Amino acid sequence: MSILTAERLCVGYGRRALAQELSFQIDRGEILGIVGPNGCGKTTLLRTILGLMAPLAGHVHREAGVTVTYVPQRERLETILPITALEIVLMGRAARFGAWQRMGQRDRDAARRTLARVDAEALGPQLFRNLSGGQQQRVILARALAAEPDVLVLDEPTAGMDIGSEATILDFLRDLNRSQGATILIVTHILPLVLNLATNVMLMDAGTILCGPVNDVVREDRLTALYGVPVHLGQVAGRRVLVVGRAGASDV
Amino acid sequence: MFEAPFMRVALLASVAASLPLSVLGVYLVIRRVVFLGLVLANAATVGAAVAQVANWPPEIAAVIAAVATSFCLGALPAPRHVAAESVIGWAYAAATSLTVLILAGAARADADTLHLLYGNVLAVSRSHANGLIAVAIGVGVVHVLFGSRFLLVTFDAEAAQVAGVRTRLWSTSLNLSIGVAAAVTVHEIGALLTFALLTLPPMTALLIGRRIRTVFALSAFIGLGAVWLGLVAAFQFDLPPGPLSVALLALAVPVAGIASHWRS
Repeated sequence: MSILTAERLCVGYGRRALAQELSFQIDRGEILGIVGPNGCGKTTLLRTILGLMAPLAGHVHREAGVTVTYVPQRERLETILPITALEIVLMGRAARFGAWQRMGQRDRDAARRTLARVDAEALGPQLFRNLSGGQQQRVILARALAAEPDVLVLDEPTAGMDIGSEATILDFLRDLNRSQGATILIVTHILPLVLNLATNVMLMDAGTILCGPVNDVVREDRLTALYGVPVHLGQVAGRRVLVVGRAGASDV
Repeated sequence: MFEAPFMRVALLASVAASLPLSVLGVYLVIRRVVFLGLVLANAATVGAAVAQVANWPPEIAAVIAAVATSFCLGALPAPRHVAAESVIGWAYAAATSLTVLILAGAARADADTLHLLYGNVLAVSRSHANGLIAVAIGVGVVHVLFGSRFLLVTFDAEAAQVAGVRTRLWSTSLNLSIGVAAAVTVHEIGALLTFALLTLPPMTALLIGRRIRTVFALSAFIGLGAVWLGLVAAFQFDLPPGPLSVALLALAVPVAGIASHWRS
């Protein structure tokens, strides 16, 4: 069942189109990874889907009553504000309410529970600006979850994180999808993240997209052509891995 | 010293001007657009200058000019090739030059003109002080009712918009309330003190405050304290109260900076 549909979408800035005639749909309960080289229009497409930018042509249709929340790159957030992690999570709940409604103890308890879900309950009283990158990411993820979304949209959710923090976030997203059927949309330039998390992938290149199940879309020949370097796919400990470059050269 | 009626009115006007500006200025500092305060103060001066030439009520013209400017700056899409503060700098330069040109062309370039540009809290009438009090109460009510919405769009407007919050409405409402507060005060206390109250108490409060509620309260207290001390010192040493208050506010910033550094 489609929760979000794009029809003949053209995205870009001003009169410059980055991608045209994009038609796709996102189904309830899927994890969609949007990947592609730098400058291909991933973030522009994401912003258009979210309604932060108007499409140059075409339209995006959301199923009625669907709640979407957005986890931006944490570098974009204001750090001058002396605001605690708990207050930030409460902002996520506040967005659900009308301007006249006031939050009470029940909302604060719910915000604490949401922080606990991302293993960050102890961070509640601490100032957001004093937290590490991984901790900040968990807090803004908790803010998005506090709004009890149907669709969770994440922009580079593991950027700048160490592998431990990255694994924690990915495991949480996987559990969220499995246990609650949450629809998750991730934009990233980190391909292995999508390979091991997403159910479907949208590969963007030079204004076109290829969308489908990960195994169908992500192929060595495609990635090699897309990125202009040899790409090899394999498996280690049951997880997909990606090796970039010629044999004997640098590996990723 | 506050036995004299004009001093009591001056104190009342200073307090009524400092509270809304010091509180609303916190948003400007957090959003890194402190010069928006200067632009709004100067836009109000343009309106008052036009009113002086055209024989209109200057207060109404000042409010209209400041509100229109805040609305336009809030509604304009962010330019892609220059920073938002550059646009604010452009608006400041345009407003200042326009004020000088309008007043230079006016037949009555006299004490009224100086009052318009620099303000004089000692010359505020009781009715004007009442107007400032009304605006301060109005801003206070709006802030108590919708402060959480203003914070929401200040912290992360895009995430709030995605979640369904009408960010443009709240952002414009915040700008409008700043515009109105700046417009009504600039004519009474001058552009310099208006800008200083929008900027320096929030800066000082953010340096020493560790909670957002504390920052708002501290900012209001610092603004209030500086204008009161400015008035007292001006009376004692026969100096202009506006610049004296600004000097005290300016002094508070490095003191708070040192205190913050020492504490950390």
